[in-house]
Amino acid sequence: MNPATLNKYNLIIMADDKQVVLERILQVTRYRGFLINGINAEVNTGNNIATITMSVSSDRPITLLVDQINKLIDIKGVEIDTSAV
Amino acid sequence: MTESKTLTGGALLFEVLQEHGVQHVFGYPGGAIMPIYDALYDSDVKHFLCRHEQGAAFSAVGYARAAGTVGVCLATSGPGATNLITGLADALADSIPVVAITGQVPTAAMGSDAFQEIDIFGLSLACTKHSFQVTNINDLEKVLHQAFAIALEGRQGPVLVDIPKDIQLAEVTERLDKLSNLKNKVKLPLADISKALDLLTQAKQPILYVGGGVGMANAVTEVREFAEKTGMPSVSTLKGLGALNPKSENYLGMLGMHGTKAANLAVQESDLLVVVGARFDDRVTGKLDEFAPNAKVIHFDIDTAEINKRRTANASILGDLKGNLPLLTTDLNIAAWQEKVQKNKADCAWRYDHPGESIYAPAVLNTISTLMPKNTCVTTDVGQHQMWTAQHMVFDDPSNFLTSAGMGTMGFGLPAAIGAQISRPRDTVIAVSGDGSIMMNVQEFATIKRYQIPVKTVIIDNEKLGMVRQWQELFFDGRLSETDLSDNPDFIMLATAFDIKAKLITKKSEIEDAVKEMLDHDGPYLLQVKIDAADNVWPLVPPNTANDKMMEGV
Repeated sequence: MNPATLNKYNLIIMADDKQVVLERILQVTRYRGFLINGINAEVNTGNNIATITMSVSSDRPITLLVDQINKLIDIKGVEIDTSAV
Repeated sequence: MTESKTLTGGALLFEVLQEHGVQHVFGYPGGAIMPIYDALYDSDVKHFLCRHEQGAAFSAVGYARAAGTVGVCLATSGPGATNLITGLADALADSIPVVAITGQVPTAAMGSDAFQEIDIFGLSLACTKHSFQVTNINDLEKVLHQAFAIALEGRQGPVLVDIPKDIQLAEVTERLDKLSNLKNKVKLPLADISKALDLLTQAKQPILYVGGGVGMANAVTEVREFAEKTGMPSVSTLKGLGALNPKSENYLGMLGMHGTKAANLAVQESDLLVVVGARFDDRVTGKLDEFAPNAKVIHFDIDTAEINKRRTANASILGDLKGNLPLLTTDLNIAAWQEKVQKNKADCAWRYDHPGESIYAPAVLNTISTLMPKNTCVTTDVGQHQMWTAQHMVFDDPSNFLTSAGMGTMGFGLPAAIGAQISRPRDTVIAVSGDGSIMMNVQEFATIKRYQIPVKTVIIDNEKLGMVRQWQELFFDGRLSETDLSDNPDFIMLATAFDIKAKLITKKSEIEDAVKEMLDHDGPYLLQVKIDAADNVWPLVPPNTANDKMMEGV
């Protein structure tokens, strides 16, 4: 992949605060062909929901990654944040 | 939560397995799973001791596929757990519901590089649908129920539960009152039914392209009704074989790299693909950009992520096939198209009149297919024999043909046949293997011997890693690198060492009697079939080539 020609996307991922949920997201992101440019993860200890914001780039369509992250059992939802690109 | 009688985590495991109807498990004991094996001693669950954890995993896969249920395997920590991984990867690729239980070192020792400690939870991420590690005894019951639910929900798959030794030993003081249903968190978008109906009724040259999802969805009846009512010419993937009526005049066989000429030509000429429980695998499509170039696509699937993954769908219908297929089951006026593909099918029919006295593998496989009893379950390993089996044996249900399709795992066939035979004790089970593949899990002959499992093993023996040799001949200038197996052990002597009756045949005049003798034999049997090492699998679509540019011999 040539970093200069890649499309950039920001994702907002809501997940149950479960073991290895972050590793699962990272593994799927790498395997499906997306580079991670930045990531932030926080847990709301009140409802045990984690919010992960992730900046990724790839020459592949972002729907490929969104669908695969959505399949992970502990994921509550994935949004593409168009405002931040 | 309510108070109940106390029991250990190990004993709780078997209670939960029985609540899910599990009668048989496959495994291998070791240090970190000893409390579970101690609990097994008092359990009504029947355990089959395999001779390698990979054998246990594949037996669980075979059991699940043959019976349409969840397969369960057990292994200890460290190497026991890592030996399961290939089986789990295979189950993930082919969407097979398996629950794998691994022992782990005690929680206090975890993370200390303890003896036989490996992070199987971490290793499982890429080869399971989901995985758990239980570090609190009060979570164990819920996790085990979740494992079964996840294995079966939506697109099925393997789930691993890693249980540290102290959790297996801990007393359970709280039991669940009732199970909350697992949420179906992926909301499937509304199906494009009216759009699909428009595409269907406008098509002049439609093809029904069926995959393994049909069997997984238990939708064989629905897909056959759809095929019959529409009259649409149909093709199958490797894992979809058995889903369509093999006697239908409009059924053209397998498509893809070793598909029939009739199937591949029809798909390339089609103007509409109705894709049912299939995923445009690269072994199916050949060069993706040139696959069915003029066809629009209606894609039925349970997995949202498969829609538009490799081929854009003009209409997508997500959800359960049993409910969705009847919505599009309608009459079509495609007589000219049917006539064309049927003529092509007749022109390209297989021939078994191979010259000479040596055995032509497709002929022996076709003979077995003709003589085997109804509802025989056939497993394969991977390579030339696998493709010949797919081409030349006839299956009337997907649960009667178990092959490692997505992962292409050599060593699958024998342990999968053991699992299939245990799940269906009254049916004949035949493992078709090659002289390369059989050696990958040859230790499972000991499992056959111990339990007197009447699996019939057929070794198609060319003293080669035949498929790799074929590719070396065709695509690597005949440089035969590391594919000679002429120093294989004497398979008849090997079988005899495991108390398995065995026979070697080398001439085509011996085929019919030998096959009958094998099928009539009450116990396990091994038939070694010597073939010409130069025989290749045809047709063959070379890699990254359009499916209509197939090779038919050199």
